[in-house]
Amino acid sequence: MGYPQEVLQWRGADRTGFYHESNLLKSWPEAGPLLLWEFDSLGNGYGSPVITNSTIYVNGEIDTISYLFALDRSGKFLWKAPIGKEWTLNYPGSRNTPTIVNDLIYVTTGLGTVACLEAKTGKKRWSVDMVTDFHAPLNRFGFSESLVVSGNNVFCSPGNADTNVVALDRFTGKIVWICKGLGQMTSYCSPVLIRLPEREILVTFSKSALLGIDTRDGKLLWSHKQDSEGDVHINTPLFENGFIYYITGDGNGSVKLKLSADGKEITEVWRNAACDNTMGCFIKLDDYIYTASYGRRYWYSEDANTGKITDSVKFDKGVTIYADGMLYCYNEKGQLGLFKPNGPQMEEVSSFKISRGTKAHYAHPVINQGILYVRHGRSLLAYDVKKK
Amino acid sequence: MFVLFFSFASFAISQELTLNEILKNYYQAGNFDKLKEVNSIIMTGKIVQQDLMPVKIVRVRPDKYLMEFDVADLTAYQAYDGHTGWMTAPWTGNAAPQIMPAERMNDLKNRADMDGVLVNWKEKGHLLELIGRDSVNGIVVYKIKVTRKDGGIEYNFIDDNGFMLLKRVSYRMAAGKELLVENLYRDYRKVEGIPFAFTVETNNAGRVNEIQFESVELNKPVDLKIFVMPEKTR
Repeated sequence: MGYPQEVLQWRGADRTGFYHESNLLKSWPEAGPLLLWEFDSLGNGYGSPVITNSTIYVNGEIDTISYLFALDRSGKFLWKAPIGKEWTLNYPGSRNTPTIVNDLIYVTTGLGTVACLEAKTGKKRWSVDMVTDFHAPLNRFGFSESLVVSGNNVFCSPGNADTNVVALDRFTGKIVWICKGLGQMTSYCSPVLIRLPEREILVTFSKSALLGIDTRDGKLLWSHKQDSEGDVHINTPLFENGFIYYITGDGNGSVKLKLSADGKEITEVWRNAACDNTMGCFIKLDDYIYTASYGRRYWYSEDANTGKITDSVKFDKGVTIYADGMLYCYNEKGQLGLFKPNGPQMEEVSSFKISRGTKAHYAHPVINQGILYVRHGRSLLAYDVKKK
Repeated sequence: MFVLFFSFASFAISQELTLNEILKNYYQAGNFDKLKEVNSIIMTGKIVQQDLMPVKIVRVRPDKYLMEFDVADLTAYQAYDGHTGWMTAPWTGNAAPQIMPAERMNDLKNRADMDGVLVNWKEKGHLLELIGRDSVNGIVVYKIKVTRKDGGIEYNFIDDNGFMLLKRVSYRMAAGKELLVENLYRDYRKVEGIPFAFTVETNNAGRVNEIQFESVELNKPVDLKIFVMPEKTR
């Protein structure tokens, strides 16, 4: 049995929240799985770790400075590298999850720094400041995008009217193209890439719309308007078999769109305002979507063909990821639940309370090589979830 | 017919309770004799609004109070050390401790009274008046008007069967305006024989939140320094 995947970006290989693991526990002891180690000096933050075969990287804020931390796989501190000033006005701490491509790491700060660092040492290759360089307006909660990379480009969302989304050369930080989008502020979304035979599309949110942008030239192909005044559309959309799925707690709720074969047009298939989620993302498994409701504090199963809610489980609200046949649901009360997805229903199997760490329980857990990583503020916790 | 007559008779009997009789039942139901022996109470839980944020309330007799709570993941304090009330409001961009504005000081002092306004009310200088019957979420209650020594008016609503406090209506000043504050008390559970409301819903001039307490600890040692206004942010 092998573990082919490293976790090199936000929510795993395709940003879907799927961790391609096997032989994991199907239930946990009452106190939870075995805690292997804790690193408790990360500084404040809500971002998840990324993990190579040798190193764990995660961001944290200490005394208003954002750092990239490197730990070995046993949780031992290796080094930390400053990135820039971090957001501390509300929900203080680093917000993004690093993105690793070969020997380079791409990170952001809540105050708008976009930086490229060397993975081995943390040495900064280049950085840009979205506020001063691209005239990005400061938003309510700080820049929270986990950067996405394609080929030689890394994409960021300053959210200015003239510099809405920008492609940078990932080796130099130089501007490749600028997309004006709809001229709206950014909305904290970590984008996803859709690769079609004809083109590649960057899909992200601005203040009141989902945007589809051609990654070759930055041309806005289409947008999907949010029928609300809300500006918080954090969740990464999903593309599967010709359809785009997204969920926002501050806009249209859950939505399914059909994408034309050439990627130039979208058609709305359904929407369900009741199935909303602000920042916990969702998992689509076969014909069903699993997510937590922002408004009602329940977890929902939703029929991906119709948008109808088929089950609800009282477990507050939070983050959903998936591995080896099970949903991992981490709620804002700090409970980590193991749920079995049974098509239209979901069944709680086990749960335990994350009692270590600080501040809010917002970070998305990560599973890699049989270890469940949970970031809670200043602490990174590693739990053994391998079946013995 | 008998049932109907009995109901009316029962209502008539209970309606005849005087203020003193209601209070006597209230003291008994609240086990205030036992509460008198309690020197400190530490209540921890979560504030549920849009977010879910931690809250901790510490009271020490006779008049010390501290509320430590998070707003937008920033930790803030409201406290009274028996002489001085202070607060922090880090979401304003200034996390430094500051003296509580005079218009909110009385509210803080009242929160420091571990027993509440209805216990030893004469000694405390309050005036009480039984207004009559009312209803809280379908439960018949006695409505008691309290004119506090500080001049503030509040209404306490006592369950006519279990004699627990179910609702409190008070008024607070903010920016020169009087605002209505409504507290609903639910989910009473006994801790060492004393009932505590583990859920408190507050409607503060239209802004609603709920505190869900997870633990109530009695007579734990408390360092009294925590109530004193610090020079710098904690």
